[in-house]
Amino acid sequence: MKFSRLIVQLLLVVAVITSIVLSFFIWTNTARYQRGRNIDVTSADSNKNEVPMNQVISPTSVIWHDETDQHLIYNSNENISLSVQKVMQDWKIATPKLVSKKDGAYYQKVIHGKNMLQLVYPTSIATNVFGYLLNNDSLKGEKEDQFNRILINLKDKKDQNIYLANDSNYAVYKAKVKNASSVPLTKLVKKANINLKVRLNIMKHGVFTFYVDPIKLKGYSYVISGKQDGEYTTALFDSNTNGLVTSEDNGVYSYNYGESKRLTSDHNTEELTFEDYTDTSVPKTQLAFLQRGYQKIINLQDSITNLRLYNADWKNKDLIFREYVEGFPIFKKSQFGSIRIKFSRKGSTEHFLNKVLEVPVPSNQAATTLKSTNEIFKGLQRVGFSPNDVQAVEVGYQWEAESDNEKVVDLKPTYYIKIDGHWKPYNEWTNESAEED
Amino acid sequence: MDFKRIEVIFLIVFFSLDIFLFLSFRNSQQLVSSSSTNTSTITEMKKRNITFGNLDTKNGYAYYLGSQPDEALAQNVGKLRNQKVSYEDTNRSISSTLSNPIKITSTDKVATMNKFIKKESNVLFGKDYKYSPQLSSGSQMVYVAVSGLGEVYDKTAQLTFSVSNNEVVGYTQTYVKTLIILHEKQAIKSEKDIITNLYANSEIPNNSRIAYANLAYTKLLEAKDSTIYIPVWFVTIKNKDSKVVTVKKVNAFTGNIIKSSTNGDSSYNAQG
Repeated sequence: MKFSRLIVQLLLVVAVITSIVLSFFIWTNTARYQRGRNIDVTSADSNKNEVPMNQVISPTSVIWHDETDQHLIYNSNENISLSVQKVMQDWKIATPKLVSKKDGAYYQKVIHGKNMLQLVYPTSIATNVFGYLLNNDSLKGEKEDQFNRILINLKDKKDQNIYLANDSNYAVYKAKVKNASSVPLTKLVKKANINLKVRLNIMKHGVFTFYVDPIKLKGYSYVISGKQDGEYTTALFDSNTNGLVTSEDNGVYSYNYGESKRLTSDHNTEELTFEDYTDTSVPKTQLAFLQRGYQKIINLQDSITNLRLYNADWKNKDLIFREYVEGFPIFKKSQFGSIRIKFSRKGSTEHFLNKVLEVPVPSNQAATTLKSTNEIFKGLQRVGFSPNDVQAVEVGYQWEAESDNEKVVDLKPTYYIKIDGHWKPYNEWTNESAEED
Repeated sequence: MDFKRIEVIFLIVFFSLDIFLFLSFRNSQQLVSSSSTNTSTITEMKKRNITFGNLDTKNGYAYYLGSQPDEALAQNVGKLRNQKVSYEDTNRSISSTLSNPIKITSTDKVATMNKFIKKESNVLFGKDYKYSPQLSSGSQMVYVAVSGLGEVYDKTAQLTFSVSNNEVVGYTQTYVKTLIILHEKQAIKSEKDIITNLYANSEIPNNSRIAYANLAYTKLLEAKDSTIYIPVWFVTIKNKDSKVVTVKKVNAFTGNIIKSSTNGDSSYNAQG
């Protein structure tokens, strides 16, 4: 009698424990199930036309320091920077540790290291954003150390590290790397078909890339595309356009969706501004800041293959994107690049141009030879700008519309100089040509 | 009261609860596996009697290519023998009628014509072309241009033999001398992406067979006297009942379906 009761009690205890364990599994599992569904939906969505985020936020110049000199390299058949990132995705990169900070002399040494391959972002990003872009778990942590250069030694087998460097405070971080080989990177360097001798100079406003000799660069032509205002309003107002109020003044069209959203389209300059007063949450982390910016540009443009993050101002929550051709930025007639996004408590603002590079076309322009950067600084000095006045120098492509063919645009290389917060081509600052005679 | 009876009732209740929980746990697991991948699309297609071979999931790379007009055909037209040749300036094409039509059978036609085009006095630049069963039909044999960068399925680089009564009577030819890479390589959609996308857009009817899925360059547009080519997936779908064959074209960069069924000639834009 007693014995059978013991069995019943024992079985009861087992049954209770099993039910608890099973309910626990179901709860955790339903959570996974729901998340799984979300992933499925987003992947189906992005499948349509995706350019991954790590292509938009990517280093734009690649500098290789051989035994003697530094060279800016590029391969017009294959983007070296994107390929290097692809290789790095398989690496195990440990959490970066600070090596030095605010030591200009040491920084100079680091960025001039021999046999170093250097990838340079146009703007600094945080280490955890880098971890997210490479899908590298150990970098994804909480740390938001800023850097804009990645340095990898391709020859020294003992140096199993990558270095992350930040131009604005001369901080250098070192991260141990496992499961990595320099062989594929060396191959990529060897395949480069554009090779320009450069020197990195530390100046008052940052580290500038100086082209030591006059440089010969090709011109490019592209078919450009744009959209009708109506296509933007359907994409941006994401609801039916019934409540739309339209007004026009001198070619400037305004579309208001109640009091909450507004699109202004200037048909003379083809510049558009979209204000969303409902989007009042300001991103809390740098990763969220860039992710939201990326979502917005995908929503704006169909073709973002050439678009790169150009400047991320975390303090003012301001993002600038520019189009690039063969590693050089394109400067259009606007001051803000191609797309500018600003988040604030009052709402988000997007400035953008309705002209996107769509299809490359063989160019019939002759190659342009530009002066060396030293000559450019001398020319600026002649008109009264000291090297300390210059906030940035960049070789970029100028947007020249062809008068006989509005659909095709010619891109011509020149020096762009930023003084007093304004970008202008060299000839507009000095009345002199940037081209070698 | 009988405490033992309560225990037994509790045991039964918990035991049935366990069974219920276990079953629902298994159910949710099955849901996870079916929703997470698009293998379900593949099984669904198989259920609808759509047959196809192994689908390649590899995402490759391709380029924007350009060609500039050249007179290679016009300059060499004098080398051709035993045929009546006319050259047309606007399309830069050759039309030729053979003096001695070539007898072919369905088994030896490819070998015969492959041999024929090798000789320069028969066909100019014959080595640069390859037979394409996908584009050919009973009345014509189509050879497509092959370069180191890939094949070109387009009317601007094609060699088409006309066949009547089992005889090759003549041909038309267009030629592109060099293709230049206009932009760094870009990732393209895989074969599997394309097929599932076509299915999702109701472009593949039930009870059909995917006969071919080939990646080739085709003309996108003409600008500044040059022709621009982009990579396009050419998918041939054959209805098993009616034997009707349709060719679907999908932009390999974007995955967008190009809405036109003719080969080459049509003009469409990249959004297509």
